[in-house]
Amino acid sequence: MSRRLGTLTGAAICGALVFSVWPEMWKTYGIFGGWMTAAVVISICWYMNHWLGVIDNPAGRLWVDQGWAVGAAGIAWALVRWQGGLDAFAACLPTLGLCLIGGTLGGLFAYQVKKHLPSAGKKED
Amino acid sequence: MHELAHWLGTYNSSLGLYNAAILTTIFGSFCVSFTVILCWGRLVQDLGPLGGMLSAAIIIGTFWVMNHKLPGFGIHPELMKSAGGDTIQFGLIQQGGHGGAPWIDMGWAVAMGIWVCGLCETPVAERKRLFAESLPRIALVILGGLFGGALAGLVGYTGAELFGWPEAVPRHP
Repeated sequence: MSRRLGTLTGAAICGALVFSVWPEMWKTYGIFGGWMTAAVVISICWYMNHWLGVIDNPAGRLWVDQGWAVGAAGIAWALVRWQGGLDAFAACLPTLGLCLIGGTLGGLFAYQVKKHLPSAGKKED
Repeated sequence: MHELAHWLGTYNSSLGLYNAAILTTIFGSFCVSFTVILCWGRLVQDLGPLGGMLSAAIIIGTFWVMNHKLPGFGIHPELMKSAGGDTIQFGLIQQGGHGGAPWIDMGWAVAMGIWVCGLCETPVAERKRLFAESLPRIALVILGGLFGGALAGLVGYTGAELFGWPEAVPRHP
């Protein structure tokens, strides 16, 4: 139960932090503001969620990344922030589909490349 | 070449995106997910937690510029408009609804890529079980993200007139 609570909390904080900080930093400091935000926000979120393990990822299971939280938060944040309805939500679905296709391709390519790349493997192998 | 250029600029009415935007969106998502899978875990192995925090800056930060940058000029951001009135987008991941749709983040691509790669690396006999085991955890993380994002979006209702921008707040007669 507390593991699930940690997963929910870590995901919520990560999503809220990204979309509270990123647009403001970008608007204020331009491109470098956006780059800096990754260094500030994603690093501490990764440290909490994945290094300390607040998002539940038991050993030997499929990795559940905080990217799911960031993606979901982007949609929820924009819908609430600009009071969008169902048609606004529908407008983002093509991009979401293409993004998932691209991510899937990246995963498949990475799997194929890693198979024959010893330096990408685990050290104990 | 002229035909290709014409085809890339064709408006695809079923998807609401130009063909060129479809290609750039897939390619941008592909690049970030591939790089994260190859580099992030290894950097953590080599440098420990500092490797992960470094990865956040040099991988996510850099790919943010590639995938998500928008024209912003100092403290007064002005969104550049095309002749058709759309916001001109420079990032590879094209936001739908002429730039007005809810934000699609490259986090979707990264999370999907890691998950797919992990599924491929799993022995076939184990796949079904691990697939089913991971779904509730993914749902929980997405639920948490929706919750956090929605709460963060509530600042849109506070009506603060920051910096006195007339655009910052809807006018109430």
